[in-house]
This record gives sequence, structure tokens and C-alpha cells, in this order.
Amino acid sequence: VKVEILRDKCVGSGNCVELAKWVFAQDDEDGKVLLVAGSDIPDSDAVMEAALICPVGAIMINGKLV
Amino acid sequence: LNRKRRTEDDNPILELDMGEGSNSSNRWPFVRECPALPPKEYDERRSKCPVSAVEMWDGSQAWLLTRYGDIRAALRDSRFSADSSVDSFPAPNAAIAAARKAQKGFVRLDGVDHSRQRSLLSKYFTVSYVQGMRATIEEKVASLLDEMAAAGSPYDIVEHFAEPLPIFMTCLQLGLPESAVPYLLDRTKVWMSSDSLPEESKKAADDIVDYFRDIIVERKQNPLDDMVSNLVHQSVMKGEITEDELLWMLHLLLVGGFDTAANMIALGTLTLINHPDEVRKLIGDPARAPKVVEELLRLHSVAHFTAGRMAREDLVVGEQPIAAGEGIVAPLPAANHDPEVFADPAKFDPDRNARTHLAFGFGIHQCLGQPVARLELAIVFQRLFERFPTLRLAVPESELIYSNAMIYGLKSLPVTW
Repeated sequence: VKVEILRDKCVGSGNCVELAKWVFAQDDEDGKVLLVAGSDIPDSDAVMEAALICPVGAIMINGKLV
Repeated sequence: LNRKRRTEDDNPILELDMGEGSNSSNRWPFVRECPALPPKEYDERRSKCPVSAVEMWDGSQAWLLTRYGDIRAALRDSRFSADSSVDSFPAPNAAIAAARKAQKGFVRLDGVDHSRQRSLLSKYFTVSYVQGMRATIEEKVASLLDEMAAAGSPYDIVEHFAEPLPIFMTCLQLGLPESAVPYLLDRTKVWMSSDSLPEESKKAADDIVDYFRDIIVERKQNPLDDMVSNLVHQSVMKGEITEDELLWMLHLLLVGGFDTAANMIALGTLTLINHPDEVRKLIGDPARAPKVVEELLRLHSVAHFTAGRMAREDLVVGEQPIAAGEGIVAPLPAANHDPEVFADPAKFDPDRNARTHLAFGFGIHQCLGQPVARLELAIVFQRLFERFPTLRLAVPESELIYSNAMIYGLKSLPVTW
């Protein structure tokens, strides 16, 4: 799937990192989300759930907000 | 379910008005019939009329949301405001309404005012930063359990374990000396307790503010490598925040981490005591702790009164039109007990996927301290039951007294082993 992050929305909850740390990380300086393995990611329940539980909708999957 | 269990209510008159099992009253908050579960009115309304009008303590009206999807969507919707300084902002009672009006932390701000402050704290709450605190938390929990073993039973988990630990955590994270724990614990308890006289409570609240004001001055003069020093010397000096804003940020971190974590420790311990099979599984498999924690967070949803909002413009929730200036109540326990999302929601089942729960809220105000809470709770339940596998109540369960405050929980939890 295509993963896109909206850093200006991110509040650094860290939920995505806890669910899929092979995809998401947090910047040490501002706590906001980073993509660690690029934006083309194998489809997985964990990545979908990370997008779903992002409190501010900062993770888009295939161009859509979950 | 034992209906005789006592619940301490902030407004006993309200309880009398409604009567046991009555659902005719339209007044929110509803009375819990079973103290361990959300009021059944949430279930009734969710199935009949998921967005419905309720009357608040001051006679104003608000819209009560009961479905997971509606609550999740509303809390993420920037057309709703969390600014509780406005009149008729939905609150559960007069005391909490007054407290919220006086609250200056960024939890009550919207938009850039909020993000400017919160974003400065994010680096201290990343998953990796919090993991770095693990060894120190383990050590503190071990020493609290040593004290418990030495003291013998009966032992009140709330007073000796659930309350001191979160204050220790706040001191650890802010870089305050551990010697500050007893003072801050005492002041915070006196301030928050409904048993305190108003002047005692006011004095305690002022003492906490003075403490943080002094710490800021101290760190300004003698910086250390800690959160407060960094915020003073970087953010305040650069003009990103004022010293007063910093003061209320620190205050918010103390408040936000205290009764939430303390009550989760108390209620979670009680639930585990009542599920010995789950205790055995947890002891046998430490990797299970995070699943147990998520399910306990969902089940108890201790921040049961927090989710009031005001519509800033006309909008629709579910199928219900809501006008600009109208309030909503979006209770986290109602979302977390929606059977469409969590089957058999009253059941404690760590094997379900509870991770999508809204116990930390949702949207820009979702709990900043959630990685700390997750780590703290996982360590607590794992180590407590490893150390005391035969842990059980020292009093009949019907004698436990629940606290129906801003954060739901137990006044005490006497245990033996």
C-alpha cells in the first residue's frame, strides 16, 4: 500500500510506532511521525490499524483517510 | 451484579432524584447501576437514539453521543472546541465546571495555541524516549513491592502504590528530585479530594503552583539536563512560550498523570484479582502484559467525564443536526462499550483486539502521556502479580468505595496475599 504522512497534523501520540515500527518512527526533536522504510509498504493489518488509530488522521493509506 | 456497592457521588441529590434503575431522568451524568461498568443508559440510547439530548447540572442542554464511530469522529473534528472557559460548556457538575473554567493548561485550548505548547513537550513523550525510563520504573516498582512485602497485609494498594507511583513518574520525567514526591503527592491529594474543605483544597492548589514557579526560577538560575531546564532555556528564552504558560504546562503534566494512572492501577488490580485465570496467563507470559493493559484501559475508561465539546459551527453528528454554540458530551466509556465494535463489552477479555479503544481520548487532545501510562501499567500488573500471585481482597468486594470524581476509580483497595 501507499502510505502518506501529514506531519503538520501529527501530535506525536506514538500509536503508529507502537503498532508498526518497521514503517513509522518519531523524530527525536519534535516527536512527529517519520517514515522509516519509504512510502510503498507491504499491506498488513498493523499498518491499517496504525492509520485507523492515529488520533488526528495524519496517516493516509492509498490517498485516503481511514 | 451487586447493587449494594456504594458509589460516592458528587451530587447525592441527583442520585435520589433518579432512583435505582430509573432511566426516565434526562440528567447527565447518569448513575452507575453496577459500579464496575458504565451506566446502562448509554446502551439504551445507543440502540434507540444514539445522539440524544441530555440536561446538564446547570439546566443547560447538550447532545449525548453514545456510538464509538460518532464519538471518535467528533473528538477528531476541529469544528468542535475544547475551550471550557465559555458559559454552558458541558460539565458533569458545578465543581468541575468551575475547575475547568479556571484551568489554564493547553488541554482546554484549540488550534495553534494548543499545538504551540503541546508540540514542545512531544519529544519527552515519544515511544523511544519513554522506553528509556523503563529501568528506573522497574526499580521503583520493585522497591514499592518490597515495602508492601515488609509491611504485610492488609495493605491498601491505592494509598501505598497506585497514588505514589504516578507522582514519582512525573518527577522522573520532569527532572524533579525524588524527595519532592511526598510533598507533591500530599498537595495533589488534598487539592483533588472531595473530602477536603474548600480552603484546604485552595491552599493545596496554590502550593502546587508555587512549587512549579519556584522550580522554574531555580532551573533558570542553575540549569540541569532535564525537561524544565530545557524548556526554560530554550522555549521560554526564545519566546515560544511565556514563563506562565510553562508553569501551567508542568501543572497539567502533574494533573494529567496522577489520578488517571492511580485509578487504572486500582481498578485494573481489582479486575485481575477477579480473574485468576488471567493472572496465571500473565505471570506465565510477560509478553501478554500489553494486551492486558489495553483491555483494562478499554474496560474501565476511567476518564469518564472528560469529553465535553462545543460546536463552533452548524454540523451533523450521526443524523443529528447540531447548531453552533451547542454542547456535546462524548463519553469515552460509551465508545469503549459499543458492542458493534467490542463484542460483549462488559467482559474482560485480553485476547480481543482492544487497541482501537478511545480510553486516552481522540483528536488533538488525545493523552500526551499515553506511552508512559502503557509502560507504567504493564510493569505494575506484571510485577505485582509475579510477586504476589495469591493477591486477593482483604474486605468483601461489596465494601469497596468507588470515587465518582472527574476520573473514576476506587477510594481504597485493601488487599492480602
